[in-house]
Amino acid sequence: MKAITANRLSDGEVVFWNGGRWVEQFAEAELFADDDAQAEPTEAEARAQVTVVVDAYLIDLIESEGQWVPLSYRERIRALGPTNHLAHGKQSEGGATIAVLQHAHGAARSTGRVNLIKRK
Amino acid sequence: MYHYDSLDKEIVADRSAEFREQVARRIAGELTEDQFKPLRLMNGLYLQLHAYMLRVAIPYGAMDSRQLRALADIGRRFDKGYGHFTTRTNLQFHWIGLADTPDILDALAAVDMHAIQTSGNCIRNVTADPYAGAAADELDDPRVWSEAIRQWSSLHPEFSFLPRKFKIAITGTVKDRTVAKAHDIGLMVRRNRDGVLGFEVIVGGGMGRTPFIGPTVREFLPAHRLFSYLEAILRVYNRHGRRDNIYKARIKILVSALGRDEFARQVEEEWVKIGVAGDLPDAEIARIRGAFVQKAFEVLPAKSEVYETALAADLAFARFARNNLKPHKKSGYAIVEVSLKAIGETPGDASSDQMDVVADLAMRFGQDDIRVTHEQNLVLPHIKFDDAHLVFLALKAAGLATPNINLISDIIACPGLDYCALANARAIIVAQDIAKRFADQDRAEDVGELKIKISGCINACGHHHVGHIGILGVDKKGEEFYQLTLGGSGAEDASIGKILGPALPIDKVTDAIDSLVEVYLRERQGDERFLDTFRRTGEAPFKEAVYADAH
Repeated sequence: MKAITANRLSDGEVVFWNGGRWVEQFAEAELFADDDAQAEPTEAEARAQVTVVVDAYLIDLIESEGQWVPLSYRERIRALGPTNHLAHGKQSEGGATIAVLQHAHGAARSTGRVNLIKRK
Repeated sequence: MYHYDSLDKEIVADRSAEFREQVARRIAGELTEDQFKPLRLMNGLYLQLHAYMLRVAIPYGAMDSRQLRALADIGRRFDKGYGHFTTRTNLQFHWIGLADTPDILDALAAVDMHAIQTSGNCIRNVTADPYAGAAADELDDPRVWSEAIRQWSSLHPEFSFLPRKFKIAITGTVKDRTVAKAHDIGLMVRRNRDGVLGFEVIVGGGMGRTPFIGPTVREFLPAHRLFSYLEAILRVYNRHGRRDNIYKARIKILVSALGRDEFARQVEEEWVKIGVAGDLPDAEIARIRGAFVQKAFEVLPAKSEVYETALAADLAFARFARNNLKPHKKSGYAIVEVSLKAIGETPGDASSDQMDVVADLAMRFGQDDIRVTHEQNLVLPHIKFDDAHLVFLALKAAGLATPNINLISDIIACPGLDYCALANARAIIVAQDIAKRFADQDRAEDVGELKIKISGCINACGHHHVGHIGILGVDKKGEEFYQLTLGGSGAEDASIGKILGPALPIDKVTDAIDSLVEVYLRERQGDERFLDTFRRTGEAPFKEAVYADAH
């Protein structure tokens, strides 16, 4: 599975795509199956929202404790907040998905981010 | 300290107004991100993992209480009530909104501060000995030359688009507290046999993916010829620096490729062409020097009864004094280091409330003078021994009296993967874990001077190459691993650390540090520091201990 993430232009907040709008919590992100032909066109649509977000890209997900979570450690930190200040970032709101993200152990680079770097 | 004149104020105010307009155009969609990014970087604004980060310049790490209070206030109003002091002696705010940035720049401008040249391929914030104007063995005040370079290099048209960023450090004594030899230019203050003031000029040091201890290009440069010589160095660099490859664009690569002798020859040739016309008039240097003449020090006896009584009565103060007080040039005064390395906290972070406490202490007891060190601590450079205990108690109440300067828990760590878009691995949490392991201050003092420096990627913002123990975070197929280097030094005996062996997973790092310390304690002779023992024994006993334990 995959999701689309970006940073919001106005404040840099990490956001996730859901049906044409941007949401702040990973739990609310729209998920795309690996073979979903709409994933890449939707990523392009998201990237085109240049006055709303910066650098939209697809992230790879893995299953953990029955939920989909970002595969790469970097993306989990983005979805949670810094590990040295647990009261900062999205993790401060708590909740089941946050807990699952904190427990997840998958580790690899996200192909969407690698593609983003290649595009630059 | 130096105060802005009307021209300085005008430049900063203009820049702030210009950026307000640029931000508005970006938000309105009139500028693309590709067009806007270089503009925001020229104003120190980066987009990181969770938010924008604003890097505020603290020229040569010196500020007064008014400025530190302003930073505290910005931290409260626009960030999460704190800031992060960096190895460039700057302050980074990590939770900044783009739309707020123009107001922040206005707030900075109101206290003669800005974020200009804290990014980009220009001459960055000059760093200097944080004990400037206070050190007992000072040869000259490096703030004078740093401030002159700040003025000379600010918006300098010839040096605003160099092949790559450019960093200068200036020492004030024979001791190097600036890592001068790992800078693009290191100026090490010297006096020749006739007492003439000058600099040993080191060019082409650096860290990053290709670390170098810079060679000495000129043994003695008379101080009054500094600016023409800097111009000559920068011209040779501007002409021949590798603009075709970002990884080879720093001056260290040019110096290495040409060789020290050929580089020096080209600089000398250019220097002759520039001549004395490229130097600042003596009167201008004298004007700047005037700004740093310290307010009257009191004539005090070397021994303070109040201080001696407090030392005997308060063991925690005695420990603080042993580790955090340094010799001052004036009788009856001490330099007080304020550790931003409380055990288990984030190295270099200070809350807005803590900043206010330090500002108050500077105002009440410290001649309104505060410094930032490249090791991510603060300094109150002029504290009377009579007041030292009061200062200690106030720092202690604010969580700022950790007695660990130069000890194993006084760790440099970059923000790493917790914040930075470039990082491969976390650095802060590694530092926190090591500090907790060595929280026993008796043990830490027994171990003595041991500088651990941690970077979350090869860019080496955490100076790992010059750590007695360096720790570099690497990404192994998306997992955090850490490579240890031993034997680095950022002091006058500068050296680049050597990689000890294969990188370790995060949960093995603190154990490995413990093993290294145990080997040192076993092997050390006399007063040897960790670094001295390592240099004598070589890596073998250390390597054996770490990899015997790790596997």
